Amino acid sequence: MDILLYVLDLIVFIGIFGIVALSLNLEFGFAGLANFGKVAFFLIGAYTYALLSQIGLPFYLCLIGGALISAIFGLLISLPALRLRADYLAIAVLAFGEILRLIVKSENWIAGGDWGVTVSPAISLIGASHRVDALINVGLVYFCLLICFLVVQLLANSPYGRTMRAIREDEVAAEALGKDRAKYKAQALMLGSAMAGVAGGLYVQYLHCVLPGMFVPMITFTVWIMVLLGGPANNWGVLLGACLVELFDRGANVAKDYLVLPIDPSSLQYILFGALIILVLLYRPQGLLKESPIKTKALEAARYEKGGVRNKGN
Amino acid sequence: MAVNWAQVLLNSVVTGSLYLIGAVGLTLTYGLSGFPNFAHAEFIALGAFVGYLVAEQLGLGLPGALIAAFLATGVVGFLCYRGIFQPLAKRGATIIHLMVASIAVGFILRHSIGAAWTWRPLYFTATWSAYDAGPLRVTGLWIWLIFTAVALAVIMHFVLTKTKIGKAIRATSSNPELALASGINVDRVIWITWFIGAGLAAIAGIFRGADTQIWPMTGWDIILPIFAVVILGGIGNFYGAIVAAFIIGLAENIGVVGLIALGLSTTYRIGIAFVILIITLIVKPQGLAMLFRRA
Repeated sequence: MDILLYVLDLIVFIGIFGIVALSLNLEFGFAGLANFGKVAFFLIGAYTYALLSQIGLPFYLCLIGGALISAIFGLLISLPALRLRADYLAIAVLAFGEILRLIVKSENWIAGGDWGVTVSPAISLIGASHRVDALINVGLVYFCLLICFLVVQLLANSPYGRTMRAIREDEVAAEALGKDRAKYKAQALMLGSAMAGVAGGLYVQYLHCVLPGMFVPMITFTVWIMVLLGGPANNWGVLLGACLVELFDRGANVAKDYLVLPIDPSSLQYILFGALIILVLLYRPQGLLKESPIKTKALEAARYEKGGVRNKGN
Repeated sequence: MAVNWAQVLLNSVVTGSLYLIGAVGLTLTYGLSGFPNFAHAEFIALGAFVGYLVAEQLGLGLPGALIAAFLATGVVGFLCYRGIFQPLAKRGATIIHLMVASIAVGFILRHSIGAAWTWRPLYFTATWSAYDAGPLRVTGLWIWLIFTAVALAVIMHFVLTKTKIGKAIRATSSNPELALASGINVDRVIWITWFIGAGLAAIAGIFRGADTQIWPMTGWDIILPIFAVVILGGIGNFYGAIVAAFIIGLAENIGVVGLIALGLSTTYRIGIAFVILIITLIVKPQGLAMLFRRA
């Protein structure tokens, strides 16, 4: 077994799921939306990428197309969800993901139905080894991850992000201050879906195929573990969460070959995932890394009374 | 193609009966604890497997299986509430945290079932004689299913309106603080509801399993229509759930006729429940609850 290739593969997976985790962090961590159908938008991005690359578009257009279509669906699903409570949104989006998977599974004309189709890699050099291919993917995935990270990080620390957090903490108070909560929620879902769409595209071009079986609710759940474990509303935290969950996943896969257990190891892995999430929720609901307090010049000035902001009498 | 509408109607009653039995526990625990328990799907699956164990592996027959599955799954439901959801709620977990926890519980249960039994489909071997009545064809299992659902509706009606615990359930569901102030042991009311709700899910699992097949995703396969029943009927509303179960059953079976007529795959029947769910959420999120006094 090629150890280096294995490590590179792990790095690519961390990057792809890091993007999805960041997008969920934007929706759940900052905007307080329970998106239990993350996999739906991952799927839309993946299938859009596959279909667009089949008609011969270059990979960056396929990725952007996936992001756009995914964002449109994010907006559409947010329309009924806007007025909805957290639990209604969760049920609606979860169901949406299952229906989408059902559709791509039953409709053979979309992308091969249950059997899927092959997807050509984004960048393929002639005669490149697997290692070089993996390296190229590391570059591509981490470039996208960097952009997503910067977007979420800058948004979160902008007035816009502070409004989002305010709505998360107290919808009524935020609305009383004139913030349109429906608009912010819809935008968070749209942007988050676009990012998940990009990740879906990267995922299928890396694996060279697209199958309905790749988009089970387990994906959504894995991403939730990453966010909750790492620390909701902390972008570094969710990336840490993505690393830890993927490492645990790989570790369990390796350990499987060396351990003799009375129980099927892959079942055990899922059981441990479930137990882990319950333990995190019980004993460390803020995650490994906490949300950092809001820092603005005005706040600092107010705190130290340095008079940095003089706007007496409005 | 001539459609046998009488048969469609009968099938709707059968489907609705199954959904009703499956949905009662979910709607009551949702109303009392204030969050949708996604692990309800795994209560259904667990019930089906316990039923399989008792009926097939131990050879004790279906009645024994129903009782054993009700009790065993009820205890699991009680333990989930006491061991996980109640402590979480006491620590101030939000509704989102509770939902995530319920999905986690679902994964633990589902994969434990898969590890304890198998991921391959299993079948109940008991065969059911089919009866023909005019244009209708009905199996013995269906008669039992409809009978169970009707009995459940009648018994639950009397429990909710006439008994102390039933009144306590309704009181706690509509106003927990007032119920507590009135001297109702709210904690006991909630855990009894979790016990009964999970037990009824198990009954639904056995009927579903005996009618088709069982595997660890048995519950997940029908959780979407069951959620549609809960939302359409109004969360925590038992009478709404009865009406909603038969509406969804009817819509699904008429929908299947429509799907065949349109030449689409009948696997989309689950999509019909989804459409009803979404429309309910957009138009009237409180569901049919306004038609009934709160129960």
